[in-house]
Amino acid sequence: MLVTWHYRVRNGLMEKFDPRARWIFSLAFLFAVTMFWDARFLLFFFVLAFAWYFSSKAKWKETRRGWLLIGFILFMMIVVNTIITGGGAGGVVPKGGHLVWPAGLFLLGWKIPFDLTWERLWFAICQIMRISSISAIFLIIPYTMDPRQYGVTFRGLGLPDSFAYSMELAFRYVPTLARDFTTTFDAQRARGYEIERVKGNIFKQIVRVAPLIVPVTMNSIMMGEDITDAMDLRCFGQRPRTWLYQLNYHWQDYVLISLGIAMLLVGIFSLYVFHIGGFWVPAFFIH
Amino acid sequence: MTDLPLIVENLSFKYRRRSELALDGVSFSLQPGQVMLIAGSSGCGKTTLMRCINGLIPNTYTGEMSGSIRMFGKSITEMEMAEISQTVGTVLQDPERQILGSYVLNEVAFGLESLGISREEIVPRAEKALQRLNILYLRDRETFGTSGGEKQKIALAGVLAMEPRILLLDEPLASLDPASAHEALDAFRQLADEGIAVMIVEHRVEDVLSIHPELVMYMDEGKCAYLGDSKGLMDVVDYHRIKLPATVVMERARKDPAPVFNPVVLPKEDKTPLIQFEDVHFSYNEDSPEVLKGINFEVHSGDVIAVLGHNGSGKTTMVKHALGLLKPTRGRVLIEGLDTRKTTVAQSAHTVGYVFQSPSQMLFAPTVKQELAFGPTNLGYSPEEIQKNIDWAIETVNLKSELDMPPLALSFGQQKRISIAAILAMRSRILMMDEPTAGQDYWNYQAFMDAILQMPGFDSIIFITHDVDLAVIYATRILLVYGGELVADGTPQEVLKDEKLLRSCRVLPTSLLKLNMEYLPRTGKFYRAETLAHLQS
Amino acid sequence: MQKKLWKFGTKEVVYAAIGAALYGILGLATNLLQLPSAGNVSIRPAIVIPMFFGVVFGPIVGFISGFLGNIISDLLSGYGLWFWWDLGNGLIGLISGLIFLRIVTYKSGKEIVLAEIFGVIGVVVGMALASISEMWVSGADIKTVIFGNFLPSAITDAIWGLILLPILMIAYAAVNKRSGR
Repeated sequence: MLVTWHYRVRNGLMEKFDPRARWIFSLAFLFAVTMFWDARFLLFFFVLAFAWYFSSKAKWKETRRGWLLIGFILFMMIVVNTIITGGGAGGVVPKGGHLVWPAGLFLLGWKIPFDLTWERLWFAICQIMRISSISAIFLIIPYTMDPRQYGVTFRGLGLPDSFAYSMELAFRYVPTLARDFTTTFDAQRARGYEIERVKGNIFKQIVRVAPLIVPVTMNSIMMGEDITDAMDLRCFGQRPRTWLYQLNYHWQDYVLISLGIAMLLVGIFSLYVFHIGGFWVPAFFIH
Repeated sequence: MTDLPLIVENLSFKYRRRSELALDGVSFSLQPGQVMLIAGSSGCGKTTLMRCINGLIPNTYTGEMSGSIRMFGKSITEMEMAEISQTVGTVLQDPERQILGSYVLNEVAFGLESLGISREEIVPRAEKALQRLNILYLRDRETFGTSGGEKQKIALAGVLAMEPRILLLDEPLASLDPASAHEALDAFRQLADEGIAVMIVEHRVEDVLSIHPELVMYMDEGKCAYLGDSKGLMDVVDYHRIKLPATVVMERARKDPAPVFNPVVLPKEDKTPLIQFEDVHFSYNEDSPEVLKGINFEVHSGDVIAVLGHNGSGKTTMVKHALGLLKPTRGRVLIEGLDTRKTTVAQSAHTVGYVFQSPSQMLFAPTVKQELAFGPTNLGYSPEEIQKNIDWAIETVNLKSELDMPPLALSFGQQKRISIAAILAMRSRILMMDEPTAGQDYWNYQAFMDAILQMPGFDSIIFITHDVDLAVIYATRILLVYGGELVADGTPQEVLKDEKLLRSCRVLPTSLLKLNMEYLPRTGKFYRAETLAHLQS
Repeated sequence: MQKKLWKFGTKEVVYAAIGAALYGILGLATNLLQLPSAGNVSIRPAIVIPMFFGVVFGPIVGFISGFLGNIISDLLSGYGLWFWWDLGNGLIGLISGLIFLRIVTYKSGKEIVLAEIFGVIGVVVGMALASISEMWVSGADIKTVIFGNFLPSAITDAIWGLILLPILMIAYAAVNKRSGR
């Protein structure tokens, strides 16, 4: 199995920022956007998110898989749940409202009980804006952040050395374990094992992965003993650790962090002090 | 005398969970600039001795310890782990597991980072360590993509960056092919010449002797069986247990009865060859360079083939095609006349039984019996046939008593035999093995190879190796692979006589090969040293 | 050696990393076998990793295996970052790990049952947290959350986890015998 990180140097805007500043901004964005259901505010976040996303210079071909998954989730959540079955729509949309087909919907002469309201339709639009903005902000992270920077980034965000190093080590051993996984898969195939030809009930099907998962896991546990020795022998955890790569905040990072904090503050004030930003349907939309 | 790098006195140790002593009254001392070889078969206590010296005992492994270890005049019990680590540097057996950094510079800097040394100091020290081993050009590479020999040096650099004055090397040659091993050995000697005391734990004694260790210790069952110079070692140790230069073995074997060895893989009349490679090319994907560049050969009944080549020559990629695990990007591979593109691996497994290098990568079942049933069940044998095959396979590897044990609880050597039995139980016509001797000591692998070659039931045996001696002793045919090409294909006598060709393929001639070449006019065939001794008399 | 529930020394750092890397690889392997279907809840062998690492190495190792593992799996598959689902998977490992001190032989019936119980509690709590976050993040209603997110993910995780966990524990019991520690 070929393991490839999706990170490349792309010379996009976001690579000019310290990864810590980007994380703070992304998390602030997540919390800020979830305080609004007002499309006018959501539009701002939507535009900001996609401006941020497109500044990365990631190609559609690379991110397609991720968007497919998001598209699928949006479909399930919005078309199937909000529009078709239409529960309380998260308790955000008030009961009642204006029916899109007040006389009922007829299909092939049958009257279908379908009480879609304009309010719920508008809510679906808000959902799309909200989910796709959040998705854009987070989807782009792996394409623009070196996986080997996660450790030092989270160290910089206040995680203890040991936790941060654990992250770093995890990324180090991903290609090694992927290779071991492939070897085990080949070794079992050489014994006539065919994972694609699974027969029997669900229990039997699940047990069929044992020949793969057991050797890979046990082998990695034995490997872990050696890794632990190697780390102990080189004084891991004996003193506060120096991190070879240093992260430094520059002016642009302070700007980005300030923007994130400002979004949060606006959200909190709107929601709790001015009570604005809740669900709102423009008059023109209701016919 | 008190400030010698290392003085070990009457050292004994027993692991918490075991009843017998792992180390029993070992004493020796080491001077600066000396190379010391510690030899012995697996389980002799050499790893335990290393753990006592580098502080893993008692810091990580617990048990009862007695005796004393002093380094530069200071008792190890008065030293903290940080101090021990800066005095003794340890390189563990498998560099893949020792390398903790994703990039070479991170890896080399690891110890210094742990000690909290300032960034300004770390970088030059790490670079100096890389420079010392002439691998500064690797500085910004990813560790995962480097070769085995490079990994070994990167791991060593990571230890050297901490500037130790004693170096412990645990089977440093285990994962290296002979050419890389000799480069590594030269580096060890150079470090000793710079004043570091170097201890090498290794059972590839013959290789280490080439750098003339000043002190040799031979261990057996936790005791020191010999301590002295390398010349004395040759007379003392059992040449069946430790691999000595072929001339020495031949000399000593004269006094013993001749070895009995009757291989049973014999030619048969076949309509189609068992395996055919027709102009096989292979690359992992379109953009990557070709790993195989036009391979042609056939395998017939009766062939005992050694696929010989250095690590990275393409030999494993080649044999994976012989089972259809990989399919050629150009050309074709036929197994009993069938194109591997049109058959499944499971179908091909009826013809080719492939034993992977490491048993721990395939053993999974709760009992040995279930493990052995896995292959034949997949191939669709009837329950009676499966039972018959299991009985035969377990009998053949001589592990009948372990049938109800979990394979994962067995020793490495036993696991290796179980992994062979698991393939035997499939009753394939060809037995194919990747580095069958890897991870086993000399005595074990010699016995193991003898047993397999004398085992009835195969039409052909193929093994991949970088060890020339294995090819000399067991093969009737050698495929020499280099740079993805089949450089030579012929009898051992034909292929191995050209020393220049071998060296250009990073395959090193051994003392046994040289000895055989000397006697070839009279013997007409290659033999092991023990047999040669008796052909003479 | 005395086991401590919340210890995070060298050994734990290593196994947390290995657990996360393993989870990531297994997750990728199963993602490659299928296109996104039903929110990726049909083939989930990876879920046993945080449970098993929690049971064998403690709650912190379990948490990181699940949390970071889910991140790595999504990174490799190109799915971006799903913070609350990462956290939910982390909780599965953490809660499974709470039984860590009571697990000694790794193969007695009683220990396996205990580990399974904590694994299931972990799945319920972890997937509940992740699902409920969808109400807050996406504005889904409770019905959607229960039938669209919680039940499919919790049921799949529980089935895969419960069947594979004893298999790994029994295998580990054999491996553990050979360790010198």
